[in-house]
Amino acid sequence: MPVLELRDVTKVFPGVVANDKVSFTLEEREIVALLGENGAGKSTLMNIVYGLLSADHGEILVDGEPVKIRSSRQAIDLGIGMVHQHFMLIEPLTVTENIVLGREPGRFGVIDIGTARKRVAEISERYGLRIDPDARISDLEVGLQQRVEILKALYQGARVLILDEPTAVLTPQEVRELFAVVRSLVDEGLSVVFITHKLEEVMAVADRIVVMRDGAVVGQTRPSETDEVGLARMMVGRDVVLRIDKKPVACGETVLEVRELVVKSDRGLDAVGGVSFQVCGGEVVAVAGVGGNGQTELVEAIVGLRKPVSGSIALKGNDITHASARSSIEVGVSHVPEDRHRRGLILQFNIAENLLLGDHRVAPYARHGVIKLREVISMARKRIEDYDIRTPSEKVLGSSLSGGNQQKVVIARELGRNPELLVAAQPTRGLDVGAIEFVHRQVLAEREAGKAVLLISLELEEVLSLADRILVMYEGRIVKEFAADEADAETLGFYMTGGGGTKLEATPPEASPAGAGVGE
Amino acid sequence: MLSDVITPDLFAAALRIATPLALAAIGGTICERSGIVNIALEGIMLFGAFFGTATVLATGSPWLGVIVAVLAGVIVSAIHATASINLRTDQVVSGTAINLLALGVTGFLMELWYGHPGTTEPIRTLQPVFHFTASGEGVLNEIWRWINGVFLSHTPIVYATIVIALATHWAMYHTRWGLRLRALGEHPRAVETAGVSVARGRWVAVLMSGALGGLAGANLSIEQVGVFQENFTNGRGFIALAANIFGRWTPIGSYLASLLFGFADALQIKLQPFRDVVDIPPQFFYMLPYVLTVVVVAGVMGRAIGPAAVGVPYEKE
Amino acid sequence: MSESRQVVPAQRAWMTLVLKAGTPLVSAILAMGVGSLIMWVSGYDPAAAFAALFKGSFGGPKQFGETILRATPLILAGLAVGYGFRAGLFNIGAEGQLMMGGLLAAWLGVEMAGLPSAVTVPVLLIGSALAGAAWAFIPAILKARIGAHEVITTMMFSHIARFLVQWLVNGPIKAPGQTPQTAPLGLSGQLPRIPTLFSESTLEALPFLGLGRAHTGILVALLAAVAVWLVLKYTTLGYENRAVGYSPWASETAGISVQWTTVKALCISGALAGLAGAVEVMGVHHRVFDQFSAGVGFTGIAVALLAKNHPLGIIAAAMLFGALQAGSGTMQLEAGVPQKIILIIQALVIFFVAAEQIVMWFIRKRQKEAISGAE
Repeated sequence: MPVLELRDVTKVFPGVVANDKVSFTLEEREIVALLGENGAGKSTLMNIVYGLLSADHGEILVDGEPVKIRSSRQAIDLGIGMVHQHFMLIEPLTVTENIVLGREPGRFGVIDIGTARKRVAEISERYGLRIDPDARISDLEVGLQQRVEILKALYQGARVLILDEPTAVLTPQEVRELFAVVRSLVDEGLSVVFITHKLEEVMAVADRIVVMRDGAVVGQTRPSETDEVGLARMMVGRDVVLRIDKKPVACGETVLEVRELVVKSDRGLDAVGGVSFQVCGGEVVAVAGVGGNGQTELVEAIVGLRKPVSGSIALKGNDITHASARSSIEVGVSHVPEDRHRRGLILQFNIAENLLLGDHRVAPYARHGVIKLREVISMARKRIEDYDIRTPSEKVLGSSLSGGNQQKVVIARELGRNPELLVAAQPTRGLDVGAIEFVHRQVLAEREAGKAVLLISLELEEVLSLADRILVMYEGRIVKEFAADEADAETLGFYMTGGGGTKLEATPPEASPAGAGVGE
Repeated sequence: MLSDVITPDLFAAALRIATPLALAAIGGTICERSGIVNIALEGIMLFGAFFGTATVLATGSPWLGVIVAVLAGVIVSAIHATASINLRTDQVVSGTAINLLALGVTGFLMELWYGHPGTTEPIRTLQPVFHFTASGEGVLNEIWRWINGVFLSHTPIVYATIVIALATHWAMYHTRWGLRLRALGEHPRAVETAGVSVARGRWVAVLMSGALGGLAGANLSIEQVGVFQENFTNGRGFIALAANIFGRWTPIGSYLASLLFGFADALQIKLQPFRDVVDIPPQFFYMLPYVLTVVVVAGVMGRAIGPAAVGVPYEKE
Repeated sequence: MSESRQVVPAQRAWMTLVLKAGTPLVSAILAMGVGSLIMWVSGYDPAAAFAALFKGSFGGPKQFGETILRATPLILAGLAVGYGFRAGLFNIGAEGQLMMGGLLAAWLGVEMAGLPSAVTVPVLLIGSALAGAAWAFIPAILKARIGAHEVITTMMFSHIARFLVQWLVNGPIKAPGQTPQTAPLGLSGQLPRIPTLFSESTLEALPFLGLGRAHTGILVALLAAVAVWLVLKYTTLGYENRAVGYSPWASETAGISVQWTTVKALCISGALAGLAGAVEVMGVHHRVFDQFSAGVGFTGIAVALLAKNHPLGIIAAAMLFGALQAGSGTMQLEAGVPQKIILIIQALVIFFVAAEQIVMWFIRKRQKEAISGAE
């Protein structure tokens, strides 16, 4: 009997069928990978199981019994635990407080913190997930935070564990560690649903693979019966080119030159600790690294959003170290921000207004402080055409566009300005395959047009397929540089976690804050 | 002159004046910790003060007045809770509406029930709990005079407030309610996924702040002034929010910050008889608490960081 | 099928209009409905009350003039609050900036008594706007540099302004006599009443021009509304203001200085509030006394919210609140309902506009009925 079974689950959001009659089973001690692109409906399905969303139709059975799950409380009581893609941890609280939240031991409402700490210690001992129960979450690095999430589910008595894109924030080494943990959990009697869109992970960890596309299950298979190409075809519905061919482009003059750059984080620590590199015209330089190793601060310093402490930044020989965001745009730096919704566009603005951002003071769109609406609209229509933004008109609000179209608006705006340098921070995050291909083609087109591109990405696949040179960033420093053809994912991962001669190498893996952010 | 200013009275007055501020500030602390901004405290106090006074006028019982004031605070805060939790209204706007509603309703009812705007008839007030006398000479008597004057001369709600500050502070860090409250204002979604209802937790917090705001109003009318005057909270709800910020979103901190405001105000009152000596118009003294509030908010802000999710309506997808 | 498709655009336009103007309209009606309920529960006759209210606000040119008189500062105060809202700032202390504007007009008006109107009036208006802006400047700087919340700081500044006025009219600029108030403005600084602009014979021929106490300040208010509308729609200043209001992060990324935009927005808001004070002093009171501002700045919040911060909508919303205020006297006199009911209705309007869900529910219900009725 399956521990978890879904029958014909349907969920409709305004305008989208997120889940269309999805049926799914999970046997005891089984690892099922739920594979699909962004927006295929995987997370929606599992949020329904966890009681965060309610299905419009369909049935959920736990241990063969039909159940109604209306809240997370009920899911937890049924033995279902979930580790969310965005961690559900309260940063100022301790590990123990986070784990026991909702099921605090004690009497008359008074928490018995001693017992709580003991129970946390017991569970972490039993599953080999070591952690300091009194550490604050904000002081832990991402891998350890994920460990707290897993412990939280175990503390709540989970028998079914749902992991939503658990590897998105991890290095290849940490991913291997996670897989080991998952297997040991299965040995202890748990059953695991593993949500991902990464093919190689599925092949490595899953007993069975369920593939979703456009809200429906399109196939089931086992790792032994398929390969990555077959899975990709199933997932996308057509053949996918896993690597892009790049035309060779000769390196032109130096466009960006960064020297001994030191930048502080919001917390006042050195996030970027003396970084030097160059990007020349016709070249894509990628900065690879685990999130939180100073990439954000580096980008912000280059585009004028953060004042460097020391060092210099020059664009085509002109010093822009202390340039404001405004003058940085004016001298030809374009910026595709990592957080599309927060920094990339204004959701309440329409497409035309969004395309105007940054150019709203300059001719021909504005003169003497007055905006020339006619110019703006004709520009917007041209961009919509040129960059294939799918919309009925330029008056559609940013919030009603799909993620891919929103990113097209950002890219249309930044490239339409015809910049000298494009700084693209995680430009494909959360996009589907079609949109990713579009973004990659645009990046390469810039390169072929002789422009300089600085790409910041956490996706090694993307780094390897786009970059001419790869800089590995770790704890605010560039620890290694590769030519594109010298690197592979495994080697990059090794340097990304501080391997190869930094001070952390000697510490044992258990206590190692491998991949730790600099903010500690 | 100094010995005329620095008297037990001064410190007693500071404690007294701090009381309604502290109650409202602790209410603000609890509310903001749950993720809800409550600028409605101003209006909640006014409602509490009015209905408390009206009850005493009708029944002659100050204690019944206190109970009704607290209930009034709870009921009014339920409006704020409905608006900001269930309807996901902008919390500052909802608070503004309640403040305006308080002015309107209390003014309307003044005329309806008492036939005139302005001030009600005087009411029976709550009397000091202890009645010790302090006389005689000598150091020991002097010390006793100070202890009695500063600490033992107060009405019940003044003492209750100290207890409330200590109790809520302890509860915030040692109980299930406290842990969940602190979590709610930081990351409500995490609380939801831990199987705890965000809406319920926030409702409880808003109602608690309403009860405290109502009690603050009762203290003003039934203990301190002995009448109800239109709009006599005079921005205290906003000063209380500043005290909450200055107290870094903790009950004891809020109490101590309120004490600072109370002291400034008490000093101002104490100095008024000496106006002729220094020749400062009284209005400048009246401005003092408001100026102090600006200074405090400006001075502490940037270094004090409030709950991360405060003011953001929570949507259960 | 093709027929129904043709209907769609018309339906869409209707829908947008309903969504834009419908919510505020339904909110206002709901608020008056609840207000009626309160009157009824309190033993008054709501029908008589609203009849009296209407008579007092729209019953004749003189009454309509009174409505215009009340709406004049409300338009400006509404614009002040609304402009702040568009930058994501809640200028809850418009009242204080209004007082400072009025104060400056009262002082300058006396000082400049001998000069021609063509000089005095513009100088007074500009001076008042600057005074209002100056009073908003410190909260603005504190917000931009330190992040001190403008709701607390502007509110506190409003209390400080109140005592400043109280002190000044009791001492330094007090007119001789018992009453604590300033001397009246010179004629050159006064905004003339509208009927005085026309000759007796014109007024007899066109009686609707006999607008009682309504003064030319309404022109200032209307011009300001149009100006704010143009600024928001067609200038980089307005564009940046809206951008920062929606997303400071995206604005910063686009090279817009969030701090500077915040300071500008709050000061412009203060300037508009200062103008509101000026028209009250120059058009109505002709002097300043304690609490002359009478809560206009706070009512401005309700006006802005009801208009959803749209400058032209603010004119309509201010007329509504102006009418409520103008008619409330008649209402008290003829139906016995305390004037404070107006405050309650204002509060309810804010609630219903803010809690759009309630109103949307009503609208949707109506739509459903309309649709099912059409079938």
